[in-house]
Amino acid sequence: MASTAQIEVRDGNIVAAVQDFLGKLLADQEIAGIFTPRQLEAKGTVMPALITSADKLATADPLAPSFPLNSARQVAQLTRGDLDGGLVAVMRPCEIRAFVELIKLNQGSLHNLVLVGVDCYGAYDNQGYRRVMENNGDSLGLEGSNSFIKKAAAGEIGAGNGVPGLARACLACEHPVSPVADLTIGLMGADLGSQIFIEASTPKGEGLLSRLELKDAAPGDARDKAIEALVAKRKAYRDAMFEETAEATATPEKLADYLAGCINCYNCRVACPVCYCRECVFVTDVFSHEPWQYMGWARKKGALRMPTDTMLYHLTRLAHMSTACIGCGQCSNACPNDIPVMELFRLGAHRTQEAFEYEAGRSPEEAPPLSVFQEKEFSEVTGGLD
Amino acid sequence: MSNRIGVYVCHCGTNIHPKVNSPEVAGFSEDLQNVVVGRDYKFMCSDPGQDMIIRDIQELGLDRVVVASCSPRLHEKTFQNACLRAGLNPFLFQMTCIREHCSWVTEDSEEATCKAKHLVAAAVNRVNYHDELYSRMEKVHPDVLVVGAGIAGIQAALDIAKAGHKVHLVEKAPSIGGHMAQFDKTFPTLDCAACISTPKMVAVAQEPNINLMTWAEVEQVSGFVGNYQAVIKQKPRYVDMVKCTGCGLCLEKCPTKVPSEFEEGMGLRRAIYRNSPQSVPNKPVIDATVCRTLNGKKCGVCEKFCPSGAIDYEQQEQTLTVDIGTIVLATGFDTMDPTPMKQYGFGRFDNVLTGLQFERLNNAVGPTGGKIVKKDGTPPDSVAVIHCVGSRDKNHHEYCSRVCCMYALKYDHLIKDKVGHHVKVYNFYIDLRCFGKGYEEFLTRVQEEGVTFIRGRPAEITDKARTPEEEGKLVVVSEDTLLGQTVRVPVDMAILCTAMEPRPDAPEVARRFGISQGLDKFFLEEHPKLGPVSTATDGVFLAGTCQGPKDIPDAVSHASGAAAQALALAARGEVAISPTTSWINPDICIGCKACIGLCAYSAIEFDDRLRVSVVNEAMCKGCGSCAAHCPSGAAQVKHFTEKAIFTELAGMLAPVPEAPITVEDHAESPMAEAGPQESVPPAAETEETATAS
Amino acid sequence: MSEFEPTIVAFVCNWCTYTAADLAGTARMVQSPNVRLIRMMCTGMVDPKYVIKALLSGADAVLVSGCHPGDCHYINGNYKARRRIKLLTEILTGFGFDERRLKLTWVGASEGNEFAETVNKMVEDIKELGPGEATAIEVM
Repeated sequence: MASTAQIEVRDGNIVAAVQDFLGKLLADQEIAGIFTPRQLEAKGTVMPALITSADKLATADPLAPSFPLNSARQVAQLTRGDLDGGLVAVMRPCEIRAFVELIKLNQGSLHNLVLVGVDCYGAYDNQGYRRVMENNGDSLGLEGSNSFIKKAAAGEIGAGNGVPGLARACLACEHPVSPVADLTIGLMGADLGSQIFIEASTPKGEGLLSRLELKDAAPGDARDKAIEALVAKRKAYRDAMFEETAEATATPEKLADYLAGCINCYNCRVACPVCYCRECVFVTDVFSHEPWQYMGWARKKGALRMPTDTMLYHLTRLAHMSTACIGCGQCSNACPNDIPVMELFRLGAHRTQEAFEYEAGRSPEEAPPLSVFQEKEFSEVTGGLD
Repeated sequence: MSNRIGVYVCHCGTNIHPKVNSPEVAGFSEDLQNVVVGRDYKFMCSDPGQDMIIRDIQELGLDRVVVASCSPRLHEKTFQNACLRAGLNPFLFQMTCIREHCSWVTEDSEEATCKAKHLVAAAVNRVNYHDELYSRMEKVHPDVLVVGAGIAGIQAALDIAKAGHKVHLVEKAPSIGGHMAQFDKTFPTLDCAACISTPKMVAVAQEPNINLMTWAEVEQVSGFVGNYQAVIKQKPRYVDMVKCTGCGLCLEKCPTKVPSEFEEGMGLRRAIYRNSPQSVPNKPVIDATVCRTLNGKKCGVCEKFCPSGAIDYEQQEQTLTVDIGTIVLATGFDTMDPTPMKQYGFGRFDNVLTGLQFERLNNAVGPTGGKIVKKDGTPPDSVAVIHCVGSRDKNHHEYCSRVCCMYALKYDHLIKDKVGHHVKVYNFYIDLRCFGKGYEEFLTRVQEEGVTFIRGRPAEITDKARTPEEEGKLVVVSEDTLLGQTVRVPVDMAILCTAMEPRPDAPEVARRFGISQGLDKFFLEEHPKLGPVSTATDGVFLAGTCQGPKDIPDAVSHASGAAAQALALAARGEVAISPTTSWINPDICIGCKACIGLCAYSAIEFDDRLRVSVVNEAMCKGCGSCAAHCPSGAAQVKHFTEKAIFTELAGMLAPVPEAPITVEDHAESPMAEAGPQESVPPAAETEETATAS
Repeated sequence: MSEFEPTIVAFVCNWCTYTAADLAGTARMVQSPNVRLIRMMCTGMVDPKYVIKALLSGADAVLVSGCHPGDCHYINGNYKARRRIKLLTEILTGFGFDERRLKLTWVGASEGNEFAETVNKMVEDIKELGPGEATAIEVM
């Protein structure tokens, strides 16, 4: 049974309460550093930082509605060897889920790491965030995060409220709370005017929480209900999005149209937290063809779309990583030509993960579907023969 | 600089051309990128054909060669060697099959030619991306493992041991000799089986180069040609092989009696038993399933009476691992159980016997002391011998078991000889197949002895008499296809010549040794004609009936063949290992370890310092499990690189000109006018085409 | 217009299906010429992107054929292939590729007749199905 504590919110400053909690964590003798998003001076940019000094926590802001990067790979980088001290990583649920996939791929580890999840109301995509910033005189800051969370909790964020809508990936995300985090900063179901919850869900989290000597809390079923309602809403959005995307990509021809703007920049896989290859096969010489080959292909149909191999790239990426896709939407964020790649990838991921009864990011114990096999399975593939 | 590719399109006599227009394909190839010369020739694998390739490599400076001819499984090595002789790395060669996969199976000539062009285009494309590779030489462990010690295993083991190599001979049963030890006489010479096999069995026991392990099984095999490791399970015998003198006292005293497998259920054996006093080794084994002591009951009789204190109820199963270079499988056959063929009443009628039961009946140390008698102890006045029981029968085994005709004739003779000339012997046969040396002569001899031959497969054996003569008899009901009428033949005894079939554990054994089974479920040889003892797994050879039904001389020859193959490797002491293993590019690998989990051979290790996966080439078999998974392409199998496959695919899918291009355009074969050579096909090819057609 | 003649690429295992194809040839079992073989050492070597590439660059269908379960020359390559084909089927059918365009079969080394039947049946099926969904587009 998970135990729950609470942090007092003073003067409606939720971010300060979170910072207060992070300060307590950093003060713990076993914790050497805290990895958390923070506000930078420059243009209100939010980027993660590895913070070791308590005074630097003043700009820490895990609640900012900006999501320029899925930090799973940074946390993987920090945990793939000896870090010289315990680390707390404060992450969105989708970041934790991506990190879980990276653990399976030997890219990171849970050793010496405390995963702190934050209840996630979602974030703007990069363009949306810039517009919100512009509307606010280029400054959102910590206050902006406070007001965002309050509005989000009240259901007042959305296109209908005169402000840009959240990223579609977030609207379609059915995982606003991480199932794997050791500790969770609970916003949902809390009376944000007075408190936020700190929930421990693992022995590691319990141990740390008990050392912090926080006030116990009893969230009752308000929290569960708030989460349930949000998930239901998001699932409905997701399913509608799937339907729309399925329709838009129902044939290879339509898929080609869908991807017509792709310039093979591969930004989507650079931004993808689970595309973990050091060098993508599509930038190796396997796909650098001889000039006469291009001419041959062009002759076949009279014309050859350049750059080539775009469909192959996206379909292959689906084959490689769709089972690990956690739907964070960074691919769409990174696309210079606004191709809705997140929608495409999430749909593909939904199909393949369902086929293997697998859910990316659910548990570090769950083996990636293509890394294992059984003697008797999927006999439908061979027409029932095995 | 561009590659310089030569393309060689074979006619294979008339096997490829004119169904596939070989000159046209050669002409087509000259228009392909980087192709310097395209030639066609009557027999590319012949010496002049190979010389043509060699000369072109040297004179035209070819650095890549493509041959379009038969299956690479047949002549890939031939052409690779030709390249090698010309100084070209044999892996800069690609062969594509336009015979088995094209000319022989395509009806329309134009379609066949078109398909051949696609295949050639694919091969040309691919060969551009071949790398020079060098085979790795590995030492061959001089010892050989022979599995099964029937006559084939014995022969193979003796041949190898006599050549000075150590043999580990593993036999599942308590003693060696296999089925042959059960026989009485052997056809067509009628010499006694024991007289000819016992000396061989004794020789095995006395041969210092043979490590004989009876009552043992091979549990696991790992490694690769020249360097196999076998884990052998030695089952507990409960008899100390060193202390036991084989006096046989325990066999008389043991109070537990069960039907004897060796006697085909016609006699009894004790819980402690050996097949016969001539058994090798002649030391008994305790059957743990029926022994009283081993099942917690009061007894201990054998221990009490054993004069040398050899009984050891505490003996445990042991496993040992042996290093060997090659393996000979001689696991033999079983005879089909005719019980399911209810029409013949086996198991229901006392005097319906299988062939092996009749062998035991005949045998001087068998259950009747060699007397041919009915169950009631009286000699039969009439016997039916039914051929092809379960053989040549779509419901059971489609194949011919090859030995039944001959042993049936042997029974005919033995009955006449032992019981008396008055005994009526009826053979129910489909065809008489007496193909071996001295076999036809034996048939003539038996025919002259007054045996009756009825052509037909009996419908049933019944005890329901219709006439007074049939009373108390077994009535064989059959059509006589020569007379075209049904016959009812009353007899005292019927012998079923049951089919030879693979051992029930053949699938398991095949897997353990990495070989395949054919449609008939016998082990599959590498080539039905040219590789009847080797298998698809290098260093594993077949001997005797595990490969298919054989009589004794054939099994022995087959075994000697397998021994020679194993010795060839062992004597040379080294073997070339294919360099087509996987390789992981350390600059690309990110160390996700997925390949390590997928590798069936534990051939990939993790370098903790560099955080990358590394292939151990000695253990890698080049299956590509890692390469097909690795998303970054860091893992690739040499010779099957992504680049090579992609370009092969592109060539295969590239459009080919539909209108036939003029044949005159392409390079003339310099051999074209060398008339006489053309009519001399190489020997292998003649054999192949003659038997395949 | 003459009858549609599909192009089918087959990635086949050297140890079983390729041998079966040889056997079918030796026995002169007539086959439609539409299927072209690419010899692999094992179906476990078939990278999913080969299949995608084939379907995007002109193949109307792809056949992958290996050893029967339990008979893999490399112990278990065919099981890995089966998962990959399962994955590909999920991906490709989602974007409108007919599931019949990607076929995985087990054809043992001695099953020449089985190979010929597989080839002819598949050609028949694809003829009925018509040209591959992606063969008309210029993108690859």
